[in-house]
Amino acid sequence: MKNQIRQIFHSSKFLGGFCVMIFLLLLMIVYPLFVTDDPLEMIGQGNFFKPGTYISVTDTVDTDTYTLKLDNVGARLESKISVEDRADMADWLEKFGGVGISQIDVTDAEGLIRLWEQYYSKDAAQDGLLISKKKYYARLDKKIDGILEDTDLKIAAEDPETGDISIAETIPANAYVNTKDIATKRTFILGTDNFGRDVLTELASATKTSLMIGLVAGAVATLIGLILGLLAGYVGGFVDDTIMFVTNLFTVIPSFVLLILISYSVGESARGVTLVATIIGLTSWPWTTRSVRSQVISLRNRDHVNLSKLSGHSLFRIILTDILPYLASYVVMALIVQISSGILSEAQLSMIGLGPATTKVSTLGLMMSWAMTYSAHLNGAWWAFLPVIFSIALISFSLNLMNIGLDQVFNPQLRD
Amino acid sequence: MKKRFKKILSLILVGAMSVSMLTACGGKAEQAAAPAGEEAAPAKEEAATEEATPAAEETASNEAGSTPRNETLYFAGQQWGSINDWNPMSANSNNAMGITQNDASRILIYESLFMYNMLDGKLYGLLGKDYKWNDDQTELTVTMNPDAKWSDGTPVTAEDVAYTFDCHIKYNSSKGNDYGSYIESVTAADDETVVFKALLDDTGKAVNPLKVLGYLPDLYVMQKAYLEKVEERNGEDADKVKQDKMEDLVASGPYHPYYDDDQKVVFERDDNYWGVSLWGGLPAPKYICHNIFADNAACQVALAAGEVDIDQQFITDVQKLWEEDGLPISTYVDEAPYGICASLPTIFYNVEVAGLDDVNVRKAIAWAVDYDQIISSAMSNQSPTFKDVPRSIMNPTEGEQALLDHEALKPYQFEGNDIDGANKLLDDAGIVDTDGDGIREIDGKNLSYKAECPEGWSDWQATLEIVAAAGKNIGIEIETYFPDANTFYDDMTTCKFEIGMFWTPGAAIACPYLRAANFFSKEYAELDVNWSGNYGHYMNDEADAILKKIPNETDTAKLKEYYTELSKIYLEDVPSFTAMYKPQMFHTVNETVWTGYPQLDDGNNIPPMLCTDGYGIAGLYNLKNVEQ
Repeated sequence: MKNQIRQIFHSSKFLGGFCVMIFLLLLMIVYPLFVTDDPLEMIGQGNFFKPGTYISVTDTVDTDTYTLKLDNVGARLESKISVEDRADMADWLEKFGGVGISQIDVTDAEGLIRLWEQYYSKDAAQDGLLISKKKYYARLDKKIDGILEDTDLKIAAEDPETGDISIAETIPANAYVNTKDIATKRTFILGTDNFGRDVLTELASATKTSLMIGLVAGAVATLIGLILGLLAGYVGGFVDDTIMFVTNLFTVIPSFVLLILISYSVGESARGVTLVATIIGLTSWPWTTRSVRSQVISLRNRDHVNLSKLSGHSLFRIILTDILPYLASYVVMALIVQISSGILSEAQLSMIGLGPATTKVSTLGLMMSWAMTYSAHLNGAWWAFLPVIFSIALISFSLNLMNIGLDQVFNPQLRD
Repeated sequence: MKKRFKKILSLILVGAMSVSMLTACGGKAEQAAAPAGEEAAPAKEEAATEEATPAAEETASNEAGSTPRNETLYFAGQQWGSINDWNPMSANSNNAMGITQNDASRILIYESLFMYNMLDGKLYGLLGKDYKWNDDQTELTVTMNPDAKWSDGTPVTAEDVAYTFDCHIKYNSSKGNDYGSYIESVTAADDETVVFKALLDDTGKAVNPLKVLGYLPDLYVMQKAYLEKVEERNGEDADKVKQDKMEDLVASGPYHPYYDDDQKVVFERDDNYWGVSLWGGLPAPKYICHNIFADNAACQVALAAGEVDIDQQFITDVQKLWEEDGLPISTYVDEAPYGICASLPTIFYNVEVAGLDDVNVRKAIAWAVDYDQIISSAMSNQSPTFKDVPRSIMNPTEGEQALLDHEALKPYQFEGNDIDGANKLLDDAGIVDTDGDGIREIDGKNLSYKAECPEGWSDWQATLEIVAAAGKNIGIEIETYFPDANTFYDDMTTCKFEIGMFWTPGAAIACPYLRAANFFSKEYAELDVNWSGNYGHYMNDEADAILKKIPNETDTAKLKEYYTELSKIYLEDVPSFTAMYKPQMFHTVNETVWTGYPQLDDGNNIPPMLCTDGYGIAGLYNLKNVEQ
């Protein structure tokens, strides 16, 4: 046994998969220790806030400032007015502003903006201009309004009693704050989802749930498959025929269809994590049964089994002590495959709205499902679905890698 | 050595497989091309030998199915699946582009008497020119537009209007059933004058003059001669008449059916359209086409690619299409909520369900829901918040808001996300959790409800998830349930739901009365199959009494009093609660090919109704091709 385990860990593939799995497990255990927020809490009011640190605007005003001699205007121009914007501005000025082309210098952003401020009017007759373009210019005008000004910003406060507005604070143009000083902020490493929930926190909890679903589903499927396979293979005869009849029935009916029907009929309230996992397990055991049975048939006429029979050992004892140990490695491998397919089944189920309830728990499938419903893939909100896909891929990948490693150790044909 | 050999062998095998796959694909393409050519050949021969045979017609229309891009206005988001018929009396046309009769009917093929404009709440003449009530609002006289002609060249007369109504009644169409309870008769006084006689109640007053008026922008006028033909060929059998395909239809609208299959529906302009005198010209697009897409995502991709001109669908973060992607796409209003919000998707309680008959439970759920979250995430900010437009039974349009005493309602208007308030309300009412499972009970029974809306209605699904999350915070278990649309309709219309989200009347000539009735009407609740409103069978005598007074009231001050009182009852008793304000239509346009779409404040007073519905069709006459 010890030797075998040592052998397993010598296999680089198993070790690779094992490390990835341990990493995922640690992440799931460690992450919630640091981030204790409820993964289902809807924080962001809006869809798919992009990844980054969000800083309270009012707190920024109250934070101690530092004075830095930096070119604010230049930096603002760079970030707010793109080359295309400048070309469009020049275009407008020439067509509708009556500015000669010789007067316009696109490379001189400041000059261009001064011209723009002088000549642009939202209400000018803009014949032949598309409505969307007109609106674009109006937005652009709003964006560059005051961009060249390097004056102090005044903050007004309202008197709660009289309702009078007075200047409460003046912020110099070159005042800066250090982001570390700001008390209230929140970092969304992977942005938010369509409900405004923190994707990373949700992902950590979803991976945990999905792995749990995989484990339960895999355990259920393997257990059923193992018991039926052992019985069918060892007892044979009528028992074998009956079990194989049922197994064949299940093999013929696509298990996913069965899964959908059962999930639909139990209703959402009952569809907790454990039940979904059990349903998945209940529909995916047939192939384990078949392969266990065939292995048992090849084992049952071995000498040590016959010897055990002659010694008058009971059926269960023979199965448990003389047959099962020879299958153990295979069963572990089957379990791993079942876990990985269980996770995928949950994802598929949740994608069509038959998984666990959204408000109760987060799963990888549910995250995918909502991201697709709110067309994250069309809006460029990659953070809402790519990390999920990546997690599913990583779990399956590590499990399968471990499996290949085990196979190399246990399968005599592959042994070097 | 053995291992290396295996590796090389596997490489060779993989190579061989990919090559064989590639060649197989090529082969398939060739094979696929060949039969198409073969098929085309016999068709041509046939066409050549027998001129004007059905086969020839078919090939002609197949070619004609594709129309020049710059003459075609493409739509998306309305037609799903292939159409069934062109019959305005049918209950199952599945022909959204051709036949949509509602408060602002789609008047491309058939036309209604008047066109409703939700911007000013007025009716504009189409087949009808003028309408006038008598003094006690029992007779509505409509003068016909003498220019109006059918597509066969004959004039549209008062007789056609009367006969259309008679047919709806005679054959029990759903519209006939609806209006039959309010209109006694429609008669032609002469060729150009139609008289609508309202059904009277015991006191000699019209049962509901608003519903009589509501007929004008709603029902299509059909030709008497053609209807008689349809009746004759179906032996006046009600079911057969209602299921007649009417492919040889005679209508009065600017377009006629041109081509349809399971891929698209195409209409062609009728260049002899009578409306030239009314509109001063023909509508700009020669063809109207609605491609039948698989789902909303496909529509959105086509819109972004410029393959669709007008899209009626909810798009998450629609502003990104122009702000970030820089596409020539726009909505009616440039800023959130991007449209004219006139409809109030509402969450109804079934008050016959134990627990939900308790006003405290209904109120607590309504108070606890985070509406800002619904509006910002489920609706992607395409709705004003309840701070902007405090809740009542009115939609956010100015006309309806003017009929409310806002000060009087202030104490009742909850803004949501009031978890503490809701918990306290339940605690005070003695509705507490006694068995420690985190869920409150009434008479030992857990408060646990199913909240339903159809699968695939994504904004509503997300809304109900947010409602469910609110339930979790106040110890009421709410699970979401998303059945297919037909199951959902069945649940709602026969009161088999527990909590259900449904739409309510948006902008209509008979609103806000219709919406008030939708919330309170006893009559609706007593129907066996109820598509009209009050789905949760809420009964309140006081509200019902006020409701009965509204239709015959013309004094605005009185109306204001009534609507304020109704809103108060609505907010106090919470028979249902509005989840958000929704644009009457999602009206997103792409200016790749066409421009000149209606805009807010462009001075044309054309509502964002897709250039097809009610007075929105005026937009169709202003379109121009984009100069390339």
